[in-house]
Amino acid sequence: MKLKDIQSKAHPTFFKEHQKKLYQSLEDKHTTIEQVDVDDPLNTGMILNMGPQHPATHGVLRLMLELRGESIVKTKLDIGYLHRGVEKIAENKTYQEFMPYTDRMDYLSPYSNNVALCTAVEKIADVEVPERAHYIRMIGSELARISSHLLWLGTLVMDAGAVSFFIWTFREREKIYDIMDNLTGHRFTVSHARIGGVANDITPEAMGLIKEFIETFPQELKDYHKLLDRNRIFYDRNENVGVLTTEDALDIGATGPVLRASGYAFDIRKFTPYARYTEVEFEVPTRLEGDNLARYYVRMEEMHESIRIIRQCLDKLPGGPVRTDNAKQAYPSKDEVYYSMEGMIHDFMMTDTGICPPEGAEAYHAVEAPKGELGYFIQSDGTGHPWRLKINAPSFANLQVLENILDGEMIADTVVIIGGVDPVMGEADK
Amino acid sequence: MQDNLEKPVLNTLNKEYSRERKLSFLERIYLPEVFKALWYTLKQMFSPKFTMNYPEEKWDPPSIFRGRPVLVEDNGQERCVACGLCARACPPLAISMQANEDSDDPKERYPDFFEINMLRCIYCGFCEEVCPEEAIVMSKDYDIVFESREQAIYDKERLLVPKEDLEERLEYLRNYRNNQFGQFWDFQEENNIHSVRDRDQNWESGLSLVDILEQQKKIDETKASSTWS
Repeated sequence: MKLKDIQSKAHPTFFKEHQKKLYQSLEDKHTTIEQVDVDDPLNTGMILNMGPQHPATHGVLRLMLELRGESIVKTKLDIGYLHRGVEKIAENKTYQEFMPYTDRMDYLSPYSNNVALCTAVEKIADVEVPERAHYIRMIGSELARISSHLLWLGTLVMDAGAVSFFIWTFREREKIYDIMDNLTGHRFTVSHARIGGVANDITPEAMGLIKEFIETFPQELKDYHKLLDRNRIFYDRNENVGVLTTEDALDIGATGPVLRASGYAFDIRKFTPYARYTEVEFEVPTRLEGDNLARYYVRMEEMHESIRIIRQCLDKLPGGPVRTDNAKQAYPSKDEVYYSMEGMIHDFMMTDTGICPPEGAEAYHAVEAPKGELGYFIQSDGTGHPWRLKINAPSFANLQVLENILDGEMIADTVVIIGGVDPVMGEADK
Repeated sequence: MQDNLEKPVLNTLNKEYSRERKLSFLERIYLPEVFKALWYTLKQMFSPKFTMNYPEEKWDPPSIFRGRPVLVEDNGQERCVACGLCARACPPLAISMQANEDSDDPKERYPDFFEINMLRCIYCGFCEEVCPEEAIVMSKDYDIVFESREQAIYDKERLLVPKEDLEERLEYLRNYRNNQFGQFWDFQEENNIHSVRDRDQNWESGLSLVDILEQQKKIDETKASSTWS
């Protein structure tokens, strides 16, 4: 059998042009297509379609794998199955109205997304945020990082074959959900950050839960280390699997833990600090190996550092308001709205017109989301709606790595590698 | 932490980094690790239960929880004045209403119909956040079921909840949402005499809203003793 012309072998039934283009790009990816030895069945060539409905692809990721026996020869990625046109929706919403939509982007760490949008709008409209709000945002973002990394850990270990571990990490995640519930009002879609601050102050219940969590979680993390670090099965499944060299990582534009596992210590929190990350001490863990095991260690150590940051935030948490006191930039307090005419007018103006950045202003602001650099680029035309809002999603950047690191690996390692890169399709497809 | 990004760098928090990629003989034969994992699993069996038998046991959300949005019923009447601000603020456009006027009522305006499409609602709480009358608040209801799309559109009858049943949420809003921040000035709750929000409160004057309005009218009509010029 020759794979020279895949198109004559495959008979697409759904959206033919799209399928044909995919097969075409698979053929064109490298210059030559090898002969297949028909006498040796272990050497059989095969085109395998993985996803979009596949439990191990973390959503609706589709992979086209060209196999020779058990090893992957080439890979082609097909994304866009979760496209909802969020960037276009943003153009028809005020900045405030758009904020809940960011919860649904990287749905594993909604708090970071809220903060990313709000800091970008604050940058373009030059809004001052009170100190206390900054610290609350940092606490929320770091909790979101732990929550996201816990899900990654559970699914990575499950992809490697151990199912019960997934349940234990989810128990810890449940505690973070309880914190989010008491801190923001919702477990999942938090919508807590506001332009110019946060929606509400920390309640005593939330404070108690956070303090309890940072006391108990390091012990759990130690247990996870004890279970996985020296376990030969986990070790063999991850060592030297999906190796990404530093040069490749930079060329492709990987971000976050994937980049840091390749040795490039780039962290937005250190290089262009936002909120009050200059006030807290933390390390940026890196590894040089660039394989899945390195990514495991980097993320585990990031969780340690997140706990450390939350501890320092709680120590330094200043008193004061949680939203800026400028009715042209943020909602006035409800006391003002209820009892003064000016407050009521500002309430109506903020809702209907919203915050208006200067005409022609442009701003790009990135935060270090759990998956990597999450940036919002906003172009304003002087009205309350963005003229253009572009989202630089870390999962999208990290997914580009897959085509590089999957080539030459075994087919059984595909799910582990996807698990190690940790993409969220809601964010990659936007 | 390095200052520049010239070359790849190793930064590990693991004190035993040199051992990180070397398994000892005992670890290579795998069995001790298996027993360690089994021991951990066994330990988990005796740890306290973390789940809830949901339909039998119901979860009681905290007062900060944003459940189904409801209209506050105050003295048998909705507080809503149908200003339309919640409908404007609603990101998924779930709220629709039609205002009507009633000159006999001191509130003057009321919603003729008020509908929330619960299939659209995303429970973001923006309606509550912008409402100038504290007329729409998020309740604790979280198990919302309907059998058809028509049933999912909640009308005024289904949305109205007496404010006595929403005490906890209103208390939370008073403590964590309504507080004034920044510049401080004394509020005069009587400032907004049109608000129905505080009609039941014991005002220092001890007068009802109607009496206050009449008194105000009387004061306005009284001629000033001097011209103040």
